[in-house]
Amino acid sequence: MESAEELRLDYDVTLLPPKKYFFPQRETLFTYNLADGISTKSPEEAKPMVIIGVHPYDIVALLHMDEIFRDTKSDPYYFKKRENSIIIGINIQKMSKWNFSSLMGCAVIDYGYDLMLTDLGNRYGINVGSSKGEALLLKYAKNVTPALARDIQIAGQKKREVINMSEQKFDFAPELIPELLRDSYAKSGFWENHSEKCLACGSCVLVCPTCYCFDVKDNPDLTLEYGERIRTWDGCLLEDFAKIASGENFRATRPTRYRHRYFKKGKYLFDKFGFISCVGCGRCSSNCLPDIANPVNLFNDMYHESRSSGVQMPSSAAQPDVNINTEGNIDYVPELGTIVKKVPMTAYETLFEIKLDDGSELGHKPGQFVEVSIFGIGEAPISLSSSPTKEKTFELCVRKLGNVTTSMHKLNVGDKVGIRGPFGNGFDTKSLKGKDLLFIAGGLGIAPLRSLFNFVLDNRKDFGHITLLYGCKEPREMLFGDELALLASRDDVEFKSTVNWCPENEAWSGNIGVITTLIPLIEFDPEKTIAILCGPPVMYKFVIADLKTRNVPDGNIIMSLERRMKCGVGKCGHCQINQIYVCKDGPVFNYSHIKGVPEAL
Amino acid sequence: MKPKVAFFDFAGCEGDQLQVANLEEDLLTLLGQVEVVSFREVMKEHSDNYDIAFIEGSCTRLQDEDRLKQIRKNAKIVVAIGSCATIGGINSLRNYKDLESVKKTVYGENAKLFDSYAARPIDAIIPVDAYVHGCPIDRDDFLHVVKSLLLGKKTETPTYPVCVECKKNENICAFERGQFCVGPVTRAGCNSCCVNEGTVCWGCRGLVDNPNENAHKEVLIKYGLTVDDAIGKFRLYFGWQETKR
Amino acid sequence: MKAQSFDVDVHHVTRVEGHGNIYVNVRKGIIEKCEWSISEAPRFFEAMVIGRPWNELHHITSRICGICSIGHALASLKATEAALGIKISDQDLRLRKLALHAENMQSHILHLGFLVLPDLMGVGSVVPLASTNLPEVKTVLRVHRTANEMSTLTCGRTTHPQRLMPGGFSKIPTITELNALRKKLQESIPDLQSIAKLFKSLAGKFPKFKRETEFIALKNPSEYALYDGVIASSDTGTAPAIEYLSFAKEYVVPRSTAKWAKHARESYMVGALARLNTNYERLSPMARETAEMFDLLPMCYNPFMNNIAQLVEVVHSVEDSIRLINELEAAGLQGQPDYNKPEVKVKAGSGVGAVEVPRGILFHDYAYNVKGICTKANCIIPTNQNHANIELDMKALLPQILDKPQKEIELTLEMLVRAYDPCISCSTHALKVNFL
Repeated sequence: MESAEELRLDYDVTLLPPKKYFFPQRETLFTYNLADGISTKSPEEAKPMVIIGVHPYDIVALLHMDEIFRDTKSDPYYFKKRENSIIIGINIQKMSKWNFSSLMGCAVIDYGYDLMLTDLGNRYGINVGSSKGEALLLKYAKNVTPALARDIQIAGQKKREVINMSEQKFDFAPELIPELLRDSYAKSGFWENHSEKCLACGSCVLVCPTCYCFDVKDNPDLTLEYGERIRTWDGCLLEDFAKIASGENFRATRPTRYRHRYFKKGKYLFDKFGFISCVGCGRCSSNCLPDIANPVNLFNDMYHESRSSGVQMPSSAAQPDVNINTEGNIDYVPELGTIVKKVPMTAYETLFEIKLDDGSELGHKPGQFVEVSIFGIGEAPISLSSSPTKEKTFELCVRKLGNVTTSMHKLNVGDKVGIRGPFGNGFDTKSLKGKDLLFIAGGLGIAPLRSLFNFVLDNRKDFGHITLLYGCKEPREMLFGDELALLASRDDVEFKSTVNWCPENEAWSGNIGVITTLIPLIEFDPEKTIAILCGPPVMYKFVIADLKTRNVPDGNIIMSLERRMKCGVGKCGHCQINQIYVCKDGPVFNYSHIKGVPEAL
Repeated sequence: MKPKVAFFDFAGCEGDQLQVANLEEDLLTLLGQVEVVSFREVMKEHSDNYDIAFIEGSCTRLQDEDRLKQIRKNAKIVVAIGSCATIGGINSLRNYKDLESVKKTVYGENAKLFDSYAARPIDAIIPVDAYVHGCPIDRDDFLHVVKSLLLGKKTETPTYPVCVECKKNENICAFERGQFCVGPVTRAGCNSCCVNEGTVCWGCRGLVDNPNENAHKEVLIKYGLTVDDAIGKFRLYFGWQETKR
Repeated sequence: MKAQSFDVDVHHVTRVEGHGNIYVNVRKGIIEKCEWSISEAPRFFEAMVIGRPWNELHHITSRICGICSIGHALASLKATEAALGIKISDQDLRLRKLALHAENMQSHILHLGFLVLPDLMGVGSVVPLASTNLPEVKTVLRVHRTANEMSTLTCGRTTHPQRLMPGGFSKIPTITELNALRKKLQESIPDLQSIAKLFKSLAGKFPKFKRETEFIALKNPSEYALYDGVIASSDTGTAPAIEYLSFAKEYVVPRSTAKWAKHARESYMVGALARLNTNYERLSPMARETAEMFDLLPMCYNPFMNNIAQLVEVVHSVEDSIRLINELEAAGLQGQPDYNKPEVKVKAGSGVGAVEVPRGILFHDYAYNVKGICTKANCIIPTNQNHANIELDMKALLPQILDKPQKEIELTLEMLVRAYDPCISCSTHALKVNFL
């Protein structure tokens, strides 16, 4: 704005919500300079902002974002801006025809703002919402007088009018949306029909005030000497959102992506935070060209279909327990580590041993992962392959697949990389004590399992019978060959390996067949044994099925899953499996918790 | 060791090579990173010893094919620049017309002197390693591809449509302005430059990998375009891509 | 004079836009063959636009050329607007003139700095000059950058401008932006002066060659004609643009994929030199000074001086653009265009748009049916109109330089072609044939 005349407070809805001020479309996380031994620089302090004319539903959306960005670890970029800003709201005077914020309880609020204006005709009523707002008023506002009784009443009338302004209508109580969704996940044809016209354009999520998924990439300068790491808005409706370097796409079809948005807003976030993460602004509906994004239409359809198939709706929605814990800030800036050893193991996999430059221990748990940065190329999640009992350094087994891993393979001893982490939940080693452990590894899956396996061997007396089953496609793809050969000479570990086939020019005297062919060859007590799985996505179904025929209880099966991980701290959204963030709630999962999660296996 | 690069052009307007010449000060930086051994529009020298070949323009004649295959043999990396090279571009507009009558219209009785066939992108003839889409290419996009090649990275072209960039740029949707846009099925990477300027996306960067074409044609018709015009819009730049789907 | 025998076969002349070949056979001092031949792939634009609606043609035809796409778009728009009776406002007229100035500046500076200067400095390209003569290269880049920024401000971008549309613009600059542009233009004047000095020191390298020929350009009583004017021939006088076919008589040459043209003589010349010869009185003051620096006065028959005429035009464009911005500011800038304007009543009609682009006079001629669909199109490109003149110049020049070493003959012939600044991709867009 260049002058007061430009201010228009009687608008119906803005194109983009005010989240763009706190979580911008594009944001520099840090800049790096390779010329002086890789230095990084975080961006400067946030400029103070006063945002005038925010509608109540957009303010509620900011409150949603506050809790989301504070959960587990807090996002400093977002909060610096939030803390340095003042929100002056305005009560709605005109509502767009898509707006249903009154139905979502977001059309009128009495919290969340510093000042709230209500247009009373030739004057504005001002509600003070915070001491910051009060101070602003005292310092800058002229002609402010205490409100008269009639002003209070008129303001009240205006707010009541807002409640009745919406042209949209739910055919049921919208508080029941989470319940409605619970039984609709696999509704035959429902999601396919509703998403048939979807253009995967991402408009619905990009204009949404409560969406917060982002992508992170490196942007080097043409000299390649320095550059920046930036984050930009991303959206789960976009085709490659859930695609990983190997090419596997965990949400490859339109119906699955379309469904995910509704479940995220109406169920997953509700189960975690207790709010339906939709404030009824109507932006998604108005911006969807094929007109399939209106939540009101979708949920009404869902409701009618449920009714006609005889499903009973409960009278009220169960309120979940909400626990938002914050354990410090997210650090998006990596620390530096140096490669101290590089051992190629196969044509595509190399084992790197890394020590942190500041001399500290990584301090990880088996099963966790780190985000490895090659500045200018990007950042990739790699599982830790060494046990924390190995001191001073840690090991990563890296498969050459995408840009970062391919670049990493070109590095040598003495070269530096960026390290963030460790991330993830890791294996709960305490609960494994005294049990028999059955490790089942497929292909590259041996790499993360090795962190636990070596931990167990270093604490051998704490555990019962140890078995390792390892399968690869062919002999030359076997990893850690030398270490595994030594296992054969140990009598406190049972080790069996197999290959799917053995080409003519390779030598192999062991078992031939897929990994499941090894399971019948071993004896174990299903009640006392914990099975620990890691392998390619296709492996899990078959291995679990075979373990179940051996009566292994669900709770005795643990697995490490892979998804596309970017931020590592449960914010950017790429690693989501339904309501789970693999980087935060995983990558280690107990089968009993995950078997009901449709996208998991 | 600076990689050796060469520029080639086929049937095109040379606007993409002009974008490279238009890099202004970045051109000097670029020359510090690569060694240009052949760039006919700008320099006299020519060498057949190059690592990276940038090719602009479509293949429109049989004799072009041999030239393309020779370039592929000489180069380690081939980059198609500009719509004509990446997707057939505006040249493919004529593919829908009967070629003989096109030649007659243009050259009359002398038509038989000029050989020509359906305009096609260069990857119809040779394998291509990287693409810089657009008509013309965007200079930043070109530099992004160059940087990726210098870093040994696989280039990352968006698989999402222009709408993503329009929304990030807070553009009023072209349809709201009473215009007809093919942005929802067109590959992003241009920062929605045309909609930013008040016009529509014409589709110059080609279709996204899995466009929902029928859905978009329905949108165009819903907003008032005739069926023929909707089909016509898809032929402006997608002429070759549509025949391949 | 040694009776030489040699062949010159310059396949795909470098430092010109598009693909052209020079073929010379000399046997014992006798010239057996001296040909200028075009091998560019034909592109069939006239056939391509048939069946497309009136609001698309400028988008398609701008793709005829990457360097003069603004010019093609403007000629195209003028033709469509003439056919459908669409008027544009005075403000839009000034903005379009600014756009054309920007294109002229950008193209000429690129030509002079990147394509011509290397010959005068004895190198193969501008690349080594970036090391040996960095300050001069940077000066050229600075002016080029200003011209590009001007294109971006008025049209959206230099190549394939988005803002140009039938009836006006989809978006216009703000007064703040125009003020900033004016400042940049003023700052480019000292740069242009140093470029002029540089060329003055090198101008002796241009052969003092002269061959009388016809010049055709637009002429306008009130300004140096670029956007608007009547067709003016140095031989026969003026005529309105709609009579273009009687001036530019095209014909097919079997060994060339581009057509040639003639009018009152066997060939004629278009371009900066033709414009300067025609509109000299309307040059801006500083441009006149620049021309005088090089003793460039009408009628100049040395095609190599086309280069200097381009330099003079850059100075003129800078001065005239400053004047246009002053006028826009004085008139007060009307707000951003309404996207749904102009109200266009689609009807059947035909129209011709004539515009001067950097390389010469350009004609677009369209016919539309009642639905506003194009039924016929004809484009006559400046370079097509120059091909015959290039070959005749070559034929006249060659005997004068036959005693030079072969490499020098080759270079001089190439410099001749380059002086015309041909845009060969444009010239093979192809047209309807008029047999003579």
